[in-house]
Amino acid sequence: MAIVGTRMTRVEDHRLLTGAATYVDNLRLPELAGAAFVTFVRSPIAHARITHIDTAQARAARGVVAVYTAADIDVPPMGTPPMLTNGAAMARPCLAKDVVRFAGEAVAVVVAEDRAAAADAAGLVDVEYDPLPAVVSVEDALAGRTLLFPEAGTNLAHEAGELSAADPFADCEVVVTREITNQRLAPVPMETRAAACVPDGEGGLVLWLSTQCPHAVRDDMTRQLGLLPGQLRVIAPDVGGGFGGKIPSEVDYTVLCWIVRQLGRPVRWMETRSETMLTMNHGRGQRQRVTIGGRRDGTVSAYRLDILADAGAYPHTAWLPSATVWMATGAYGIPRVEARARCVVTNTTPMGAYRGAGRPEAIAAIERAIDLFAAEIGMDPADVRRRNLLRPEAFPYQTPTGMEYDSGDYPAALEQVLAAADYPGLRAEQARRRAAGDHRQLGIGLSCYVEVTGLGGEEHGKITMDADGAVTAYVGTTPQGQGHATTLSMIIADRLGVPPEQVSVRHTDTGSLDQGGGTFGSRSLQLGGSVVHEATQRLCDDALPLAAAALEADERDVVLDRESGRWRAAGDPAREISWAELVRRSRPGGSFSVEVKYALPKLTFSYGTHLALVEVDTETGQVKLVRFIGVDDAGRLINPLLAEGQRHGGIAQGIAQALYEEMRYDEDGNPVTATLADYTVPSAADLPGFELLTRETPTPHNPLGAKGIGEAGTIGAAPAVQNAVIDAVSHLGVRHIDMPLTPERVWQAIKEATS
Amino acid sequence: MSTVDFLAPRTWEEALAAKAERRDALPIAGGTDVMVELNFDRRRPAALLDLTRIGELAEWGSDGSVLRIGAGVSYRRLIEELGGRLPGLAMAARTVGSAQIRNRGTVGGNLGSASPAGDAHPPLLAAAATVQVASVRGTRRVPVAEFFTGPKRSVLAPDELIEAILVPPAAGPQQFAKVGTRNAMVIAVCSFAISLDRERQAVGTGIGSAAPTPVRALAAEQLLAAARWDRPLPEPTVEKFGELVAAAASPIDDVRATAAYRRRALAVLARRTLRWAWEELR
Ligand SMILES: Cc1cc2nc3c(=O)[nH]c(=O)nc-3n(C[C@H](O)[C@H](O)[C@H](O)COP(=O)(O)OP(=O)(O)OC[C@H]3O[C@@H](n4cnc5c(N)ncnc54)[C@H](O)[C@@H]3O)c2cc1C
Repeated sequence: MAIVGTRMTRVEDHRLLTGAATYVDNLRLPELAGAAFVTFVRSPIAHARITHIDTAQARAARGVVAVYTAADIDVPPMGTPPMLTNGAAMARPCLAKDVVRFAGEAVAVVVAEDRAAAADAAGLVDVEYDPLPAVVSVEDALAGRTLLFPEAGTNLAHEAGELSAADPFADCEVVVTREITNQRLAPVPMETRAAACVPDGEGGLVLWLSTQCPHAVRDDMTRQLGLLPGQLRVIAPDVGGGFGGKIPSEVDYTVLCWIVRQLGRPVRWMETRSETMLTMNHGRGQRQRVTIGGRRDGTVSAYRLDILADAGAYPHTAWLPSATVWMATGAYGIPRVEARARCVVTNTTPMGAYRGAGRPEAIAAIERAIDLFAAEIGMDPADVRRRNLLRPEAFPYQTPTGMEYDSGDYPAALEQVLAAADYPGLRAEQARRRAAGDHRQLGIGLSCYVEVTGLGGEEHGKITMDADGAVTAYVGTTPQGQGHATTLSMIIADRLGVPPEQVSVRHTDTGSLDQGGGTFGSRSLQLGGSVVHEATQRLCDDALPLAAAALEADERDVVLDRESGRWRAAGDPAREISWAELVRRSRPGGSFSVEVKYALPKLTFSYGTHLALVEVDTETGQVKLVRFIGVDDAGRLINPLLAEGQRHGGIAQGIAQALYEEMRYDEDGNPVTATLADYTVPSAADLPGFELLTRETPTPHNPLGAKGIGEAGTIGAAPAVQNAVIDAVSHLGVRHIDMPLTPERVWQAIKEATS
Repeated sequence: MSTVDFLAPRTWEEALAAKAERRDALPIAGGTDVMVELNFDRRRPAALLDLTRIGELAEWGSDGSVLRIGAGVSYRRLIEELGGRLPGLAMAARTVGSAQIRNRGTVGGNLGSASPAGDAHPPLLAAAATVQVASVRGTRRVPVAEFFTGPKRSVLAPDELIEAILVPPAAGPQQFAKVGTRNAMVIAVCSFAISLDRERQAVGTGIGSAAPTPVRALAAEQLLAAARWDRPLPEPTVEKFGELVAAAASPIDDVRATAAYRRRALAVLARRTLRWAWEELR
């Protein structure tokens, strides 16, 4: 019986739940014995010239091994990717050299015998700063009165897409324009950034790192440090969450490697939560101007999205808003569309990917725009969506922004959710409360999203089969809690006809697999899964002639029975051979092994509809999320249980953006919500149970038929909740409220609309 | 390197003696405030005075007509063991932190921190509770309304410890409500407690997170005391009550909310809790 498609429980959980996990800081390896501890000295100021650093006291302190500043580290700065329009002069030094550009940037580094000594000594490094004006808002950055990188001559790091000179709204009966803020968020994985690094005894290094992309880190570090690729082995042990924050290669890692080469001894590093809130990349952070136009019958005919995005202090991922441009039209067929993103540097924590990475911002904008349009023409938002959603016969659909949507039935997803919610019943209850002037008003919010998945469309893997029939798969995707070992072993088990217990999945070690892409952009199942799928195919292809020889049959008559995992000759059930026997017979003392590279021919597009039902207390502005109903179609589901887990966590993070989270700065660039008391991540106590419905429309673009599900929840949930809250108070004249919809903001909006 | 002395008295007398000798010692009960302060390096005490080994501090009982709650009684025990007699305090206790925090955190610690946002403070104010403080010099009783002297400051002398809180059992309906930015684990944007004494027709109030210290709304209390208690309250009285409560506050703008919103939300909380309490009177 096929295992793929079943709700197999996670093979990882026993180890994780019994405390046997090996997060970096738990590693107790002999190589790490006597490791020194590294702590960075970080700037408390957003923008300043460093006039003087005195490390004498710190160096003399108990237990201190060494203290370094930019003057000591002879490593070139980390350059920005070449695709940026203006990135050349915006490289990031390993330690701030003459100028600090955000509160939290490292200016010195202390190595000490233990963690406490390192922390104490860090406090003794005396840094003198001469403050410069801080650029905090993207508008100020664009105005360019103060430049972060004067040599660049601009704060504009990157520009994507363009707006036409012609007016796409000329023939529209109705045009609505709105400024929308998609706020800055912090990823907040449970495990902060952490690493351990040792000399390998042959002039190279081994780096254990809490990362989503070990291979990319290896490539970037070796380049920066002038090492040969084989001289750095990067291992990601268990990783406690990442959400995008552990994708980048960071200067901190370069410094760690440099220190180990300098001192020739092992080091450890683990940030505090307070540090990680400032140093791990933040995400989102866009000011958007949306314009939507169409006819009074509900037809949308033109849409414009103009984005001013925040890159933070170093624009290494300033290209991310391009993804917002690509996905600008969401699930709708809109004939005239233009989108542009300009991304500027500011004196804030550098931005990067956060669950969704550019796509949630697109959906948030279009979903708000659709509701604004519906409100303007006085039509039910569900009807406006019905009228404009792409229809199944449109696929493959070429969007005006250059994407090719693969498959799906968007209107069916909408109808499925509306039916499950009893949409007319909810609207009736809403009308009743409005008429009664109840202070608890009901709001219903919809969001129809599409998400591009499978970015970074190439992946590597290797499968070996031993003489005892045990299968080991090595794959270049790498988990942070998603359960890759479970799903990949299910695929392999089905393809080879072996029990999943006999399959072990290894990832995350550049020493055992030379090439790999890592995990981001909802790519791991479709790419990692397709890699192992291909590898099993190759293994079977290689084994076929051997099996035929063993069974003394013609190749054309030999098949692998995927129920039993035995090779059989047609017409003679007695002639059969197991995988293990085949290995022993054909490779005495050895094993079967295949290595493959898989390239996803085209991107895939997951989609769905989310509906949020909220109660808004119109006197205090407090919001209560009452129900959440979602249908997500990510193509074929390998393991529905794990897919649900991804949806659950994603929806929680989407709700978090809508209602709770925001990383804020004061006008001097001081972060004001950098603790978990002020950066209000919700817990289970803040969330209702989710009603999750499914659809499965396979993608034609990979052998599994699977699309990505990792970010879908986040993308769909935030606009559904935002639209619901605004819907609850729309009869009072409220048209828009920016996220997060805190009680105060909701109250303020009501007050402004009613006074 | 800095070291911290850890003092672990086993009896109340030893604790008082230790505090008299080491005035720089920072008491630690549940540690849910102290450990946060240490972690953020806001404080570097020369010594910690652990109060968790003193059995009697974690006990409660009757003291004449009032309940005597040892400073070391946890929120969880308050809710489970005293919820019936002190409903206002128990309601507030239920909103504190998470289960873990309610297991460790104590009312004594809440008072010791003297934060304007301490959730136990409004119901203690509304119930006219008294704080019993002690030192080797002797024991004194301070009404809660006089206990706080400023943000995170109280009347405690450097050699004094909080011994117990004396609270009259509820003599009528009590209510507590809080506005925050999420449901659990949240520092109040503002909070309000009300306590009605059926026999004496007396009213107690307490406002949290909306002034430098937790405060009462005296004018609002007087308004109600003068009302007719045997019938529904006229709507203008309820409105006025809300206004007077808001006027008693002196909130500030901070990262959680603006002063204007706090005043507004307080008026709403005051009116609602009053309606609920009044409903219960009958
Ligand atoms: C995650 C989290 C959530 C929280 N949520 C809330 C909340 O919702 N509402 C709320 O009000 N608070 C909250 N707090 C704060 C804290 O839990 C409370 O203030 C609690 O009452 C403190 O009690 P404790 O026993 O842990 O005090 P401790 O931390 O041990 O002590 C607190 C202070 O009181 C002093 N102290 C303690 N006992 C005595 C004594 N007997 N005599 C003299 N001084 C003493 C200490 O020296 C210290 O200054 C939260 C804290 C955390 C970490």
